[in-house]
Amino acid sequence: MAVPKKKKTEWYRLDNAAMMYSAIQKENYSAIYRFSAVMTELVDPAALQRAIDRTMPRFPGFRVHIKRGFFWYYFEPNDAPGPFVKEDMSNPCQPVRFREDDGWLIRFFYYGHRISLEVFHALADGAGALTLFRTLLAVYLRELGHQIPNTGGVLDVDEPPSREEQEDSYFRYAKSRVRRGMGESKAYQNNGTPEPFYTLNVTMGLVPLDKLREVAKGYGASVTEYLSAVLIESILAKQRREGRRRELPVALAVPINLRPHFPSRTLRNFILTVRPVIDPELGDYTFPEIVSQVHHHMRLHISRQEMQAVITRNVMLQKNKLLQLVPAPVKNLTMAISYKLVGCRPYSTTYTNPGAFKVPPEMEPHIQRMEVILGQSYTPRSNCASISYGNTMEITFAGTVKESDVERDFFRHLVREGIHVKVISNRQGPEPPAR
Amino acid sequence: MSYCVNCGVELDPTASACPLCQTPVVNPRQPVDTELPPPFPSRREEVQPVNKLELALLLSAMLGSVAVVCGVLNLFFLHSSRPWSLYVIGAAVMLWIWLVPPLLFRGMPLWVRLGLDACAVGVYVYLISIDLHGLRWYLGLALPIILTGGAIMVALGLILSRGRSILTSVTLIIGAIGLFVMSVELYVDHWLHQDYVPGWSLVVAAVCVALIIPLVIVRRRPALRDEVRRRFHM
Repeated sequence: MAVPKKKKTEWYRLDNAAMMYSAIQKENYSAIYRFSAVMTELVDPAALQRAIDRTMPRFPGFRVHIKRGFFWYYFEPNDAPGPFVKEDMSNPCQPVRFREDDGWLIRFFYYGHRISLEVFHALADGAGALTLFRTLLAVYLRELGHQIPNTGGVLDVDEPPSREEQEDSYFRYAKSRVRRGMGESKAYQNNGTPEPFYTLNVTMGLVPLDKLREVAKGYGASVTEYLSAVLIESILAKQRREGRRRELPVALAVPINLRPHFPSRTLRNFILTVRPVIDPELGDYTFPEIVSQVHHHMRLHISRQEMQAVITRNVMLQKNKLLQLVPAPVKNLTMAISYKLVGCRPYSTTYTNPGAFKVPPEMEPHIQRMEVILGQSYTPRSNCASISYGNTMEITFAGTVKESDVERDFFRHLVREGIHVKVISNRQGPEPPAR
Repeated sequence: MSYCVNCGVELDPTASACPLCQTPVVNPRQPVDTELPPPFPSRREEVQPVNKLELALLLSAMLGSVAVVCGVLNLFFLHSSRPWSLYVIGAAVMLWIWLVPPLLFRGMPLWVRLGLDACAVGVYVYLISIDLHGLRWYLGLALPIILTGGAIMVALGLILSRGRSILTSVTLIIGAIGLFVMSVELYVDHWLHQDYVPGWSLVVAAVCVALIIPLVIVRRRPALRDEVRRRFHM
């Protein structure tokens, strides 16, 4: 009798960005981000769970747990039951623990009209996670009896997953002859008073996109460039209030989706960051000057050639035979230190704008707006993120910091420019006065 | 709908204050709606800190087994006339006190931790003194030196834990070294001659003071501090 062949366990290597995110993982920090869809109807958790169960097999890259190898971490398919949808909480984006929650690196929550998806950044970037989320929302709406087609970025959950979606695209494009380094100087750290162990203060501003676009256009800039400039201006004002004798440059880490520049269908990480910067030591900048600086910096540095040189350098480090031989714990420690120096020190904060969330027209009436939250930063400061859906641009400040001065100046600037802003927050305000 | 009078942003009907500037909402035409669900859940989920019990157990087992094996070897097989295993057992105990309590008791105050570390050194030297039949030098010389060193470390740790600049930290560390060296000579002199005649420690202390004075001046003069920062930048 023929002995049945033992099924080979599949495993995936981590991509270049994932290696960094899993190495810098520590007790009170984790690279988790959250996308939420605020639906027009109250969420039905049972239908959502059915939708998750139907959708997840189509996305094997998210159905994994992380394992520690001798030299590197790696992903293995997670056969544990779940992930299960849970009731939402006030302190989102909690740190991920590789051995807890059955090893799931992805979470689903519901609250009122809101469906939320939290993803560990080692699995995928915003574009990849949004593809999963879009498909999940389509399947959820189908569970509720709506007719939603597999068009407009919704993947067919009955189709087998494609290999291209699991590709490490950094490897494919690491072909530049030049390796461009990133050694940037220290930026203003924008730190505040830390909140107690795992408290994430979230403040969201809801802004009409058409008006925002019109104002940005008035400065000759895109919405991302304009919002980056407002953020830089707010942080510059904070630094000025601190009365430092020598002011440091204010720099943002703005992740750029590489897919439009390098054709790829990957759902894993495929991003790089640009660093628009204003140095107040050179003199005071007016707001139009800041917008102009940011605009030109972004246009100059978001070039295929320059980005390819950075990708090549990052991947070459990973391919270096000597570095490969270093055991994982030592590598992780080194990467954590280098992240502080290269990924944290040269930036005042992060601002990410995954852009417009597009869905098939049949889904549009069921979604009110989209929201995005970046998890806790390495230091007590707020990160900024924005996403638009329809005519609503949602801008979030989230961080483990008590003060709300940066977001206050940011939204006040928008109001001064004639943009209507509605603010919601999870900060616990004082009790309402008695009627 | 209510707007913040300070920031000009529209507020959620359930908000009792502006989330940006904490200005309370006072709108007689539309009081705060306490019936509507707030935009975010109020249920807070606590994150359990990482459990370090496993690591603590592993370290305890490793150190414990080394100590037990050496103790058994010493008692029954190797040079059983002399308690040489006390050196190994003492080192294991010292390492255990240094490493394991900070893993088990999160948020242990720094002074307790440093105090325990100094006590561990005291215990180790005590075990050595047993082997060498030197309880007299232990009580008269080693213990005072260890306790003074521990006290200086605790004081230094408490001052530095409040986030001092590099210059202040270096100044304080040099000062602490000077103080410690002087106290060592005091105890040695007292032990040997029952008298304190400052000698070699004064040389070290003078060098420390000579280093501290320019550091204090540089620390207090912004122009000098800037110059030092420029010259020694890394």
